[in-house]
Amino acid sequence: MRRHLRTAIEKNGMETNMEVQTASRVEVMGIDAGGTMTDTFFVREDGRFVVGKAQSNPADESLAIFNSSEDALAHWARNVDQVYPELVTCVYSGTAMLNRVVQRKGLDVGLICNKGFEQVHSMGRAIQSYLGYALEDRIHLNTHRYDDPLVPLSRTRGVTERTDVQGEVVIPLREHEVRQATRELVEAGAQAIVICLLQSHKNEASEKRARDVCREELKALGVDLPVFASVDYYPSRKESHRMNTTVLEAYAAEPSRQTLKKVSDRFKKHGAKFDLRVMATHGGTISWKAKELARTIVSGPIGGVIGSKLLGETLGYENIACSDIGGTSFDMALITKGKFSIMSDPDMARLVLSLPLVAMDSVGAGAGSFVRIDPYSGGIKLGPDSAGYRVGTCWPESGLDTVSVSDCHVVLGYLNPDNFLGGAITLDVERARQHIKAQIADPLGLSVEDAAAGVIELLDLQLRDYLRANISAKGYNAADFVCFSYGGAGPVHTYGYTEGAGFKDVIVPAWAAGFSAFGCACADFEYRYDKSVDVAVPQHGSDDEKVAASQTIQAAWEELAAKVIEEFVINGFKPEDVILRPGYRMQYMGQLNDLEIDSPITGAATAADWDKMVEAYEETYSRVYASSARSPELGFSVTGAIMRGLVTVQKPSLPEDEEAGPTPPPEAHLGTRPFYRNKQWVDAVLWKMEALKPGNEITGPAIIESDATTFVVPNGFATRLDKHRLFHLREIQGK
Amino acid sequence: MSRYTKEQVAKLADGKLDWDTTMRMLAMPKDNERFALYVEALQKKVSWRDKIVLPLGPHLYIAQNAKSKQWVTKCDCGHEFGDYRENWKLNAVVYVRDTEEAMTEVYPKLMAPDTAWQVYREYYCPSCGTMHDVEAPTPWYPVIHDFEPDIEAFYEEWVGLPVPEKAA
Repeated sequence: MRRHLRTAIEKNGMETNMEVQTASRVEVMGIDAGGTMTDTFFVREDGRFVVGKAQSNPADESLAIFNSSEDALAHWARNVDQVYPELVTCVYSGTAMLNRVVQRKGLDVGLICNKGFEQVHSMGRAIQSYLGYALEDRIHLNTHRYDDPLVPLSRTRGVTERTDVQGEVVIPLREHEVRQATRELVEAGAQAIVICLLQSHKNEASEKRARDVCREELKALGVDLPVFASVDYYPSRKESHRMNTTVLEAYAAEPSRQTLKKVSDRFKKHGAKFDLRVMATHGGTISWKAKELARTIVSGPIGGVIGSKLLGETLGYENIACSDIGGTSFDMALITKGKFSIMSDPDMARLVLSLPLVAMDSVGAGAGSFVRIDPYSGGIKLGPDSAGYRVGTCWPESGLDTVSVSDCHVVLGYLNPDNFLGGAITLDVERARQHIKAQIADPLGLSVEDAAAGVIELLDLQLRDYLRANISAKGYNAADFVCFSYGGAGPVHTYGYTEGAGFKDVIVPAWAAGFSAFGCACADFEYRYDKSVDVAVPQHGSDDEKVAASQTIQAAWEELAAKVIEEFVINGFKPEDVILRPGYRMQYMGQLNDLEIDSPITGAATAADWDKMVEAYEETYSRVYASSARSPELGFSVTGAIMRGLVTVQKPSLPEDEEAGPTPPPEAHLGTRPFYRNKQWVDAVLWKMEALKPGNEITGPAIIESDATTFVVPNGFATRLDKHRLFHLREIQGK
Repeated sequence: MSRYTKEQVAKLADGKLDWDTTMRMLAMPKDNERFALYVEALQKKVSWRDKIVLPLGPHLYIAQNAKSKQWVTKCDCGHEFGDYRENWKLNAVVYVRDTEEAMTEVYPKLMAPDTAWQVYREYYCPSCGTMHDVEAPTPWYPVIHDFEPDIEAFYEEWVGLPVPEKAA
């Protein structure tokens, strides 16, 4: 470490910064490259962290990351050239691939499918016409609309072949049709070719043959195009999902790989030695060199869940309700018994996909939601659209004239108009006031304060109901959960949506705004592969049946393990470094929902192994539903095999500071601001978040401010900062 | 409440409004001024000067005759179908598809209805030939009178506008 510092000083000649330089080294970096802002998060060996922000730059993401890093490291009076070389690990998450898909700016892909099924991709299982809509829009047919398909009909070719649901080849592949299709697709300008045949997850023979024939033909034509066969990537049932996911791999993942390479190259240029990893939908991180990159399409919001899990492990919380409020949405996820759940065929970007995704529930209500009066009911209506980065009418440059929730916050003194985003923009309270008066208060016959307070109460009520409904609908009790609240706007609302909900504890990390980036940095280096299998054994099946079932599962595990290890080998790991964790999806025969189970055994061969798998399933089933709901008499089906592989990586350590007693230091005190709640103006005490010390107690009304977030503690609440720089919020008597 | 510009509403009338705005219009409560703006946009598209009272179809309107102030059903081209309370179809040119042969002109063989059960009646403007409506009733069914709008109530109670003048 000493040697390292000396090198840094010699290289940069920054003796003046000796004092800062002697601090511990920076180990972990997390990146959250969003649509408008690129956040970076750096953690030192001693757990101290800084958050940096910069405007996103879609044309060159690496530049935005560089700027954001410089912004963050300036807090420590250091720079990129000093810090990048000492970093051990870095995780990227971003929306670039998602945007590429949403804006349909991917490669010109050609698609080969079964003859007669050429239209299936465009039809999107019909549900793609309304995916992503709010319920009230979904129920009206005239809003349903199909986005342009990723592959147009003009670059889709059908070939004669049929494999039935049992995996039997009923009509063999007509190879000359594959050759013909390949030639036509090349002629039509395809930049990549995807092959997806019916039931290939059940019997891969025809599809693999088609792939090889296609490659031969390309070679004969002297054309170098990548060929993607669905079985090589996502051998899962549900044809539309499998086809979409494989198309996505060709369409968007390859261009994204170029983006990530650029990011990685810039890191290298500044002396970085780490290998850039990317957050993936299954909750682990993968290399940017990974074969399956499509699963990095959604990553930002997952980071918070992973971060919560790591914090929970450190602090001893098994059950956590994660809640994240941004400008446009409220996302929540549950961690139960230290685990988050995984959805196997979620939809993203209005596409049905077969990717494992950390289960989250979202509602389109956030701090930037627009507020309007419903002309029919005369009531206040929030959203579904929002001001997003334009904040609200309080920002004159926004060009907006519709009131947003943020406007109400500004008028009531929740937010500091002169220190929004650290003073990056100045908010006009009077402008917001006039808009609220004209649009909300006057039509309702209320004062501006009461109208604005009503809006905030309504949002808090909606979020609280949503949070509670999501916990109780899954059969849990809020009293068993600790609620984590983060996201740029989270801490403003924390008291509102947790009040009376009965959580065991409510925690706001001091780095709430950078929590997703932090969470990404917490994720394991983990690959995960899934495969559909069809195994069914009755309750009292014979040993022979159980052995056969075990063998089928074992074969699937071995196939998946080979893929997982191959991915790690690409990144220079040895197969023996990889920790393999098999899993499976099981259900009672004939029921519709399966559960994902971490396998209690490392390999399956015998009847006893099958029994152990069944036992683990029934135990999980009792926990998720109820033990009385178990239905072993139906028998058991395994629907999917899962293989996860991971290698150990450096994770951020939590800060641990000395407790300094309950009284905040005088330098943390910033003054007071009038604050309106429960029909009265009070003077809320303002505190500077960074200056507060562990052990400090703050009783409401108080507002704790930092550059990137505002934590509101109203009357009837108190908060305490612990040694890890986590605020614990609680309700107190006598409000 | 959303507000839209004249340009946006004109594009809506032309079927050329971008999807995001169209979706917002569909999702949000209807803006009060929409009817007036919409009629204004339609008025600019027609060649005649009679005031549009109510649009009936993509090329068909109830309009107030500029001279007589009578309300008549009127085509884009200016052809008048008579008093707005009468069924305009009775004054249109009709083509009935009641044979398999006629049906296969519009649908592939075996994918059209059995004409013993269902026929198509197409109503055209006698002057310009624009198709204004198609009915798909059983063969013996009388000409359908689609609806008789209560225009006074619509203007006064729904959109809050003065009712255009009407000759008795």
